[in-house]
Amino acid sequence: MSKYFQKIYFDPYLFFSIFLLSILGLFFLFSASNSDASMVSKQLVFIVAGFIMMILISQPDPDIFRRMSLLFLLLSIMLLGITYLFGPEINGAQRWVRVGSFSFQSSELLKLAVPLFLANFLYGKKLPIQRKEIFFSLVIIFCCFFLVYRQPDLGTALIVALSGLFVLFLSGLSWSFIGGSFMVLVISSPFIWNILLAPFQRQRIATFFNPEADPFGASWNIIQSKVAIGSGGFFGKGFGEGSQTQLNFLPETETDFIFSVIGEEFGFLGVLLLLSIYLFILLRCFYLALTARDRFCRLVIGGLSLTFAANLIINLCMVVGLLPVVGMPLPFISKGGSSLISLFLAFGIIISMGTHKKFLPQ
Amino acid sequence: MIFEERQLEKNNFSSRAILLFGIVILSFLAILIQVFSLQISGYTDYQLASLNNKNYAVPVQSLRGEIFDRNGVPLVRNEPTFDLITNPSLISNIDVFLEDIQPVIFLSEADESTYRKLYADKAFVNKELVLKKDLSDIEIARFNVRSFSFKHAFIAKRYRRISDHPEIFSHVLGYTSITEDDFNKMPNIPRSHWKDVELTYANGLIKGRTGLEDTYNDHLNGQHGSKIYEMNARGQFIKELSYTNPEKGSDLYTHLDIDAQRSAAEYIGNRKGAVVAIDLKSSGINVLYSSPSYSINKISNGMDEKEFQDLINNPEKPFFNRALQGRYPPASTIKPAIGMYGLSKGIIDWEYEIKDPGFFTLPETGRVYRGWLKGGHGKVNMRKAMLVSSNTYFFSLAYQSDITELSEHLYSLGFGQKVCFDCFDEDKAFVPTPEWKYSLMNAGWVKGDTVNLGVGQGYLIATPMQLANYASILATKGGIIEPSVVSSVKNEKSTKLWKTEGFSDSDWKKMHDALLGVIESDYGTARSIRNLKDFQVAGKSGTAELVSLDSKEAYLEVRTSELLRDHSIIIAFGPMPNPRYAISVVIENGESGGAVAGPVAIEVLKSLINE
Repeated sequence: MSKYFQKIYFDPYLFFSIFLLSILGLFFLFSASNSDASMVSKQLVFIVAGFIMMILISQPDPDIFRRMSLLFLLLSIMLLGITYLFGPEINGAQRWVRVGSFSFQSSELLKLAVPLFLANFLYGKKLPIQRKEIFFSLVIIFCCFFLVYRQPDLGTALIVALSGLFVLFLSGLSWSFIGGSFMVLVISSPFIWNILLAPFQRQRIATFFNPEADPFGASWNIIQSKVAIGSGGFFGKGFGEGSQTQLNFLPETETDFIFSVIGEEFGFLGVLLLLSIYLFILLRCFYLALTARDRFCRLVIGGLSLTFAANLIINLCMVVGLLPVVGMPLPFISKGGSSLISLFLAFGIIISMGTHKKFLPQ
Repeated sequence: MIFEERQLEKNNFSSRAILLFGIVILSFLAILIQVFSLQISGYTDYQLASLNNKNYAVPVQSLRGEIFDRNGVPLVRNEPTFDLITNPSLISNIDVFLEDIQPVIFLSEADESTYRKLYADKAFVNKELVLKKDLSDIEIARFNVRSFSFKHAFIAKRYRRISDHPEIFSHVLGYTSITEDDFNKMPNIPRSHWKDVELTYANGLIKGRTGLEDTYNDHLNGQHGSKIYEMNARGQFIKELSYTNPEKGSDLYTHLDIDAQRSAAEYIGNRKGAVVAIDLKSSGINVLYSSPSYSINKISNGMDEKEFQDLINNPEKPFFNRALQGRYPPASTIKPAIGMYGLSKGIIDWEYEIKDPGFFTLPETGRVYRGWLKGGHGKVNMRKAMLVSSNTYFFSLAYQSDITELSEHLYSLGFGQKVCFDCFDEDKAFVPTPEWKYSLMNAGWVKGDTVNLGVGQGYLIATPMQLANYASILATKGGIIEPSVVSSVKNEKSTKLWKTEGFSDSDWKKMHDALLGVIESDYGTARSIRNLKDFQVAGKSGTAELVSLDSKEAYLEVRTSELLRDHSIIIAFGPMPNPRYAISVVIENGESGGAVAGPVAIEVLKSLINE
């Protein structure tokens, strides 16, 4: 038995912390959805499927991901194209592609494909990275960003871009280039504001800086979210007892604002517990990245886990009022199959890369 | 070489990863600080904000106190009435529901259309809706039998403000009507929530508008309670969280006497006038009646606009409270006061006599002031002057008076000021002074004005309330304190005693004897009423002239127009020699005081004394 078990690539720290997070997430979702059991059981199905996928995908040697990365990227882009051509329009956005009876948010795959592809592209390159390599990477990142942005889905597009940029940065992007790009970004910010952002996005940012301007309109969400979290106090109001949540003062409780539900019903104590689990996961990933067997694995683990961190931090900052509202789920907890599956896949890859060791190079 | 490069790369990666993960940890810290500031530092504010979001307080109307007469018989009660209330949110099909309920409850088209109009709104927010007000006994019985088939409708008890004597007590009790300013009393409930008030009265939120209902509104009103609902973001009521009982208002016990008030109304009949009677022992007002009257029950419980306008436009002015606001010349009833003045100032004494030729000639101008009896009364002293109501005697006495002193004297007897402690909208009426005449008419006070005052004509005017107070002062030899209607509320009542200085006990005795003679002697001007009773009464009658005329013949022409006829007035107190009640009666255009107002006074005194 133990001999058999030794052949399974498995990281108990990540496995159990993700398991804990997912189970807690089901409870939170039950309360956040006003006790919608069918929604929770659907989520449970995705979690079970996600765990199986995570375990399966962590078994093969990391080399397979390296070899498959181009194919994976092309496949993801193709899926995005299919979404663009055939996907149903929901709330003015085309984000979904139907596979059988499941709808899948195709952009989720890009969060994996972009870092994998760039890690593969950059892992053999000498330091410092050459101009044309940087240029090529940026073109890939921008193309992927733009495809998702067009859906439109600014939140995911930003995450896709960040996932690529993290890999680029970790692989040794020169500081002078980073400094230069930052300047360009600052200079071009008026252009971004006027051309790239939709009116509703501009409004969200304006609202962020002046929430009292329209408390019943644009600022409603963020004000109610703060009230929910703040009124939770130290111990919280109790499971299913959050009035902001249960009486629908809080919007989007099952998705973007589920953290407010946790804050309201489980208080500061609950928030501390939740953040500890997330932090633990991230530190474990950090450790795996540092101890990974080669540069490719390091870049992939670093890229994927930082993407996960960015996703998490943007959601939390938005919900507690530190960032403007942008659609972004809370990983492992918010409702949503696509996001869950892509997260489990990401961690499957991280575990695979973190647990497969090579002996000293021949 | 490769190994070195790999080590270089690894170090490069590590430092960059440490940088990025460092940023991640800093972000976590920032988030934690923000959550801390929301949940720990800002807890109280956000806690309150979340309660304000969901808690919706509505007021619950209190029941007003009831008003009782001096024997504890209710004058105004809260009478239960029954309304049919529904829960629109539970009624799935309004058409079916209305069709089903039609055979049970009679619904007018107006009822139905109002209900349909409000149905959707109320259903959405889970609020109650009245289908029909004031169900009949038959409707209640029919509904109760079939109530199992109307699970979403129920009968609720509401109250109406009802008086069993709505016509005779209307002016003194007053009426209530719908108010919109109750929100002032409960600052913790937002004004907009008052539209959802839980009613106790079928009529809505009510407030006293006139009479005791107004004067003692705060006392009667009690304290509204409140109910807190849990409300969701869409404004729907989810459940009741807490309930604070309303406090019923305090009852009001009065000195009013139903039998005596009824006698007043009965004997005035459909004439215009007023009766005020005062209990000298308690200084309580037993009777306060003004005629014509109206029904407070109708006004308090929703009178239709046309009926209300008719009342307002009625030329007899039923809303006008003659007992407190009617301004009448006191006529000969002022003579005891003038006599008191002359005696206390030493201008005359009881033996002082004059010859009464039937008129008084003003020395300065030669103007003639006539008495009521042609040829006069011959030799008259104070007692005889009182008995036969000699004008000449009092013209002559007034002529010798100082107007400023005389005005002060009349003022000290309650004229020209509010005399009742708790009457609604009492008129001060008026005692003339030279300053007043000069400022109003730009003319100086002349002796003739004072002479007129001697017989209660001219500029002096008084209300029936003031006349009754004055009669009480005479009856108690100055011992009466400020009269009041209500007996149960003593807190702020002053013990204002009316001044009657310089009038000795023997003077009072003689005065009582003279006033007794007015009714009980063979010469008294009001002797026509002496046989109507089996106790003795003192008093003074008067006939207030509305037009100043020089002769009887001229008046005969005038009296063809009823509105110009003299007012009939009497003040009286009894039973003598130890009077318990004092009364004033004014009957407009009733002519001869003793014979017209007198019987009314006697009948009211009878029902007070024989109780």
